[in-house]
Amino acid sequence: MPNRRIIKSLTLIVVIVVMLLYPVVSKNMYWIHILCIMFINILLASSIRTINLTGDISLGTSGFLLLGAYGSALLAMKVGLSVWLSMFLGVLMAAAAAFLLGFAITRTKGVYFSIMTLLVSEILRLTMWYWKDLSGGSQGLNDIPRPNPINIFGMITLTFESKISMYYLILVVVVLCLLALFRLERSFGLPWMALKKSDVLSESIGINVFSYRHITFIIGCFFTGIAGALFAHYMGLLESSELGKFSMLSSIYIVIYMVVGGEGSFWGPALGAGILTIMPEIFRPLKEYQPIFFGLLVILIIFFMRRGMISLPYYLRLWLLKKENA
Amino acid sequence: MAQSILNGFCMGWSYILIAVGLSLIFGVMNILQFAHGEVYMLGAYIVYAFCVIVGLNFFLALIISIALMALFGLLLEKFIFRPLGGELLTTLIVSLGLMIILQSGVQVGFGITPKAIPSFSHAAVADIMGMKMAADRLIVVGISIAAILGLFFVLKKTKLGQALTASAQHFDAARLMGINPNLMAATAMAIGSALAAIAGGLIGSVLRFNAFMGGAALLKGLIVIITGGKDSILGVVLAGLLIGLVDGIFPVLFGPAVASIASLVIVVIILLVRPQGFLGHAQ
Repeated sequence: MPNRRIIKSLTLIVVIVVMLLYPVVSKNMYWIHILCIMFINILLASSIRTINLTGDISLGTSGFLLLGAYGSALLAMKVGLSVWLSMFLGVLMAAAAAFLLGFAITRTKGVYFSIMTLLVSEILRLTMWYWKDLSGGSQGLNDIPRPNPINIFGMITLTFESKISMYYLILVVVVLCLLALFRLERSFGLPWMALKKSDVLSESIGINVFSYRHITFIIGCFFTGIAGALFAHYMGLLESSELGKFSMLSSIYIVIYMVVGGEGSFWGPALGAGILTIMPEIFRPLKEYQPIFFGLLVILIIFFMRRGMISLPYYLRLWLLKKENA
Repeated sequence: MAQSILNGFCMGWSYILIAVGLSLIFGVMNILQFAHGEVYMLGAYIVYAFCVIVGLNFFLALIISIALMALFGLLLEKFIFRPLGGELLTTLIVSLGLMIILQSGVQVGFGITPKAIPSFSHAAVADIMGMKMAADRLIVVGISIAAILGLFFVLKKTKLGQALTASAQHFDAARLMGINPNLMAATAMAIGSALAAIAGGLIGSVLRFNAFMGGAALLKGLIVIITGGKDSILGVVLAGLLIGLVDGIFPVLFGPAVASIASLVIVVIILLVRPQGFLGHAQ
């Protein structure tokens, strides 16, 4: 239906415009921070979905996020590179690590793939945690520089010292990344669908299963790395303790965002990450009971809306039909 | 050195109890029960509640905890995992949701300060062949060995146990032999959760614990299953002892950094050589 496509694009444009205008309307720094984290989570959930397109569930987001973040931060601080260059190299580092580790990781399937990614990501985190010269140990890495100012044709100079300018940078990069992922899915879509259904059958029609899964994994980790580089220079400090952003639990949250949003559709994980990042802030008055509600919501959605939040219209129609027939 | 070997054994047996339960659930139901670590954590908290708050004897509290957790396992299987029908992604997410609920639920109920169960005298020292060892850890190892031997007996000698082993080895073939899959799944969840409760109660009696103890335990359980193979209890026992010893001795020999990473690296190498698990079969 072309109608639905127009509605979809319109919704997307409205969301982007609202996000662009938000800092103009409101100067509430706390919410701007939450939105920045939300954009990063959206990118993470979408890149994890790309890996899931071949049927694998990666529980190793944190590890590659960490490589992008620490890679970029350390290159800027210890080597003294320009932040733009260091961000680029940090992302390349995450992708290169995915290339090398991918030889081992993508040989495993199903449950073993999930366990393998989980373990690799824990190894990366623990290495960083104990490598005190690099990571600063429990004190963390402080005073990570913001991106250098850019001069456009000598006329306008963009600086990134303020939070709002970082907000725009993250927003623009995340939107571009999502568009890139969307395009990639258009061009890789069919083999990915085949691989998800059955890799034995895909092999029989001439799809190189191993290299496709490997490439998909690298693509996913590349975008995870971008999120990491943005995160490092936005936050200004990094720490790799077992309860921080690079923990097992935070990889788990990303997978939850993906499934609760609806991993079957491209915008599902983005929606899931968006809503589930903001929700705890809205339910903050519940204090320590808040994670319980989060967990309950996740279980309820899996039970009653298996296709995720993005399919709410579908389920509404389904329930209405049932009511009419009853 | 003898003490660190004993510590390793002590931790190793708790890993074994967790991993055996996890592998039963994994084998029979083909799901990754991520909340298994939280069952272990609940086991410790229930022993704490009955021991410290109610004031019961430690062993009585442990038995209550085992019974409650076995029941909890049954309920989880009946109302959560059975309706989902064993799909990897949905069961994974639901067990992750459970994990979050249980962790924060326990934090709400018991507070965030670490707890300890005063069970055996921590000062008591046993003298075995001239080596002085902490008596409480010996008791822990003893109870764990008894539990595993009991399980071994049930699996090998009783009809239910044999049916369970058959389901874990080849689910469809077992079903064709007339074995009720739902009954097997329920039994696996009950036994698995009971074993996790034993491990939780025992570890809670020698170490201080908090609501997040389950995450690390789950990770160790997964490591042990992969090292030992999910189909063989003997393999799991050997792997658990190995990983436990690595965790006990490596910190003394090489420092905490190498120790915490070593066992993870071992598993990654094993998966590199055998992508379907050490003793697993290709699907």
